[in-house]
Amino acid sequence: MVVPLISIILLSPLVAFAIFALSGLAKRSFPRQDLLSTAAMLIALVCSFFLLRDVVPDPEPLAVDWVSIGEITISMGFYLDSVTVIMLIVVTLVSSLVHIFSIGYMHGDPRYPRFFAYLSLFSFSMLFLVVSDNLLGIYIGWELVGLCSYLLIGFWFEKDSAANACKKAFLTTRVGDIGMFIGMMMLFKKFNTFSLYDGTQDGIFTLAAAQLTTGDMVWLSIAGILIFCGAIGKSAQVPLHTWLPDAMEGPTPVSALIHAATMVAAGVYLTARMFPILTVSSSLVIAYVGGITAIVAATIAIVRFDIKRVLAYSTVSQLGYMMLAIGAGSYVAGLFHLTTHAFFKALLFLGSGSVIHAFHAMHSHSHDEAHADDEAHEHDDHSLVHEHGSEIPPDQDMRNMGGLRRKMPITFITMLIATLSISGVPFVFSGFWSKDKILAGVLGRAMEWNSIHHYILFGIALLAACITAFYMFRLIFMTFFGEPRNQEMHNMAHESPWVMTAPLIILAVLSFPVVNHLWFNKNYVIPPEQHHLAAPQHAYVSPDTKTGDANFGFSFFGVSDAQAADEAGGKNGEKADEAYHIHKRAHDIAMALSIIVAGLGILLSWLFYHRRRFSAESVATTFRPVYNLFWHKYYFDEFYDGVLVALTVWKSRLFARFDLSVIDGIVNGVSTVTRRVFAAFIGFFDNSVVDGIVNRVAEVTWAAGGRIRRIQTGAIQTYLFVVIGGIVLIILIFRAL
Amino acid sequence: MTLQHYLVISAILFSLGIFAVLTRKNAISILMGIELILNSCNLNFVAFSRFVSIPVDPENIDGQIIAIFGIVLAAAEAAVFLAIILAIYREFGSIRPDEVDTLKG
Repeated sequence: MVVPLISIILLSPLVAFAIFALSGLAKRSFPRQDLLSTAAMLIALVCSFFLLRDVVPDPEPLAVDWVSIGEITISMGFYLDSVTVIMLIVVTLVSSLVHIFSIGYMHGDPRYPRFFAYLSLFSFSMLFLVVSDNLLGIYIGWELVGLCSYLLIGFWFEKDSAANACKKAFLTTRVGDIGMFIGMMMLFKKFNTFSLYDGTQDGIFTLAAAQLTTGDMVWLSIAGILIFCGAIGKSAQVPLHTWLPDAMEGPTPVSALIHAATMVAAGVYLTARMFPILTVSSSLVIAYVGGITAIVAATIAIVRFDIKRVLAYSTVSQLGYMMLAIGAGSYVAGLFHLTTHAFFKALLFLGSGSVIHAFHAMHSHSHDEAHADDEAHEHDDHSLVHEHGSEIPPDQDMRNMGGLRRKMPITFITMLIATLSISGVPFVFSGFWSKDKILAGVLGRAMEWNSIHHYILFGIALLAACITAFYMFRLIFMTFFGEPRNQEMHNMAHESPWVMTAPLIILAVLSFPVVNHLWFNKNYVIPPEQHHLAAPQHAYVSPDTKTGDANFGFSFFGVSDAQAADEAGGKNGEKADEAYHIHKRAHDIAMALSIIVAGLGILLSWLFYHRRRFSAESVATTFRPVYNLFWHKYYFDEFYDGVLVALTVWKSRLFARFDLSVIDGIVNGVSTVTRRVFAAFIGFFDNSVVDGIVNRVAEVTWAAGGRIRRIQTGAIQTYLFVVIGGIVLIILIFRAL
Repeated sequence: MTLQHYLVISAILFSLGIFAVLTRKNAISILMGIELILNSCNLNFVAFSRFVSIPVDPENIDGQIIAIFGIVLAAAEAAVFLAIILAIYREFGSIRPDEVDTLKG
């Protein structure tokens, strides 16, 4: 059953896209592309649920040989463990809901069918990425989702800002992809295979465990960090995070699907998949990148006024969280946060889309008009920097909102649930559990290794958690509470139609852990109380190699709780037992601290933005340098604009000048030399030698002809005489012989 | 009379024909020379037929038949030649071959 189910899951969105593409070739469009794409996604969703039954803990990859070159055989295939299935369900579920939401949100867009076709193509690519059992397949899916991201960010390409944003996204992620490709090739050169898991041939993980020695650890660390570079680009980690906030130029459902729930999580998924070959050094790099991303993005989010940008920076921050978890060894926690985050962040984006949609009504409801406004602003084409404040569309500016909770009750309640979830409000919301798991994992690592790095990272994570709670409630307070700031817009606002609110409600239900636990635990072979996500790879992660670069990854039980540790303890004796107690204590501490910081963040936000006990403006004035730093997003864009873009432009000018002077000079010089010297010489040669030969031959022939023709007398008897004389002569000669 | 006698007569006839063809200044005389050559050939055929084939096959008269063909051929050739001469005369006003030299190089 597995193969047909996976085939249906992959093919149904692809077919939906293919129908769009083929009908485009036939110069007519399929009448209801929206329903077609949505139906395809729903079919994939149902099949994904069916797949839950077929999950086994350590499956064989379903691989076929794809290309054979000499002794190297590249196979393509699927690998279906519990992580894959969870990712399949997350992707298909969010994608289906986004499809349904888009039917309402995108209604009336001139390129309405194309939007759904792109969504279908994206869903196919993402699913392909998720089910691939080898790095090459993942890379193919990786680039395809990048392409779809490009197409969908630039969906309203009439807007200069959207056109620039899609180019920026594509180019920025490409920087990371190059690193990922080099990393892949390093592994391929060493192991001659792209396969990750053992099928017909040994996978990378087995080979790495078997072949690598302590001396290879530097090499392996470099390979791991290079592959992580792909995740830095795709998952918008510092320093390549700048494309993701700009990607909000795309339609809001796209932001929810691609730039919050699925594609940006692909980097986390990849890093978690590659976890078994991550060394301690590369893990630490990953953890620091994740931690820095979490805190940088969170601080930027505090001062944004564009509702979508707040969510975008929040996404970047949460992705940093997941990376931090993986880097600290708690990749199960990272993946768990990925799934919970996918639901509540998709919900937040769709909710913001609902709010934006409500405000659209007042501009005689047309995207085109908004675009026309934007086209009026002439941007410098080279510039990556988007001037905030001046450029926020009015329908996305939180300073125009306020008091919407009465106008849009469903949107308000669902977004509030998601906000409580992302803020880490304890016990009833899924975000708390996943975030708690990450914090516990990092603190446990710190205590177990007594590692200063991990204590620092834990501090960063706590601070980021506090800031997250703060800015998320700032968003809620500014949008839904208080008095309307823009009465005219407020009067036009309305609750969205049911096609848009229904997905919100479903996602809100998914933000409660009960539902998550029901689904994600019931079908695991590993008992549910052990993990939220089953872990496929821990075969050679040995718990007694905890120090130095000589080991692979981290002890598996280090990230988990009771039963896993018990199991490991049974195998590895006291050491594991001791680690288990450390982690249990870390978990208690982390849970207490995370509740405190979340409460602190919410309280501060309430004081600032609801009770107005403190004025945000005065705080901003007091800490002007810090505020400027946040407002200018740590000057990343300015840096890239001022250094990289300027350098590129300068370099291009230099090359242009080089082209004009040197290359053109060479070409012109060659032409002059050719004309003056070679052509002259060859002309002379032609005139004298070649023509001379021809003329001499003609003259000689002419002269010879003048003489020889006298033989031809015209007198018949002379000819006869010669003939007879010749015969006589021949006879005489033959006689003589 | 032996074969040699005939061959000598034939050779004399042939040589006279050749001489006539090469030297005469009148086309009609050249035609007569050609007739001599043809007849010398005929004589040769008959002579060889008579002397060379007899010991083998007395009934063999191939040479004689060829000679008769040769005579017929000569008649036809004479007719064609005279027609050509008439045409030449109309064109050039003369039948002297040395005056008909438009192909002179």
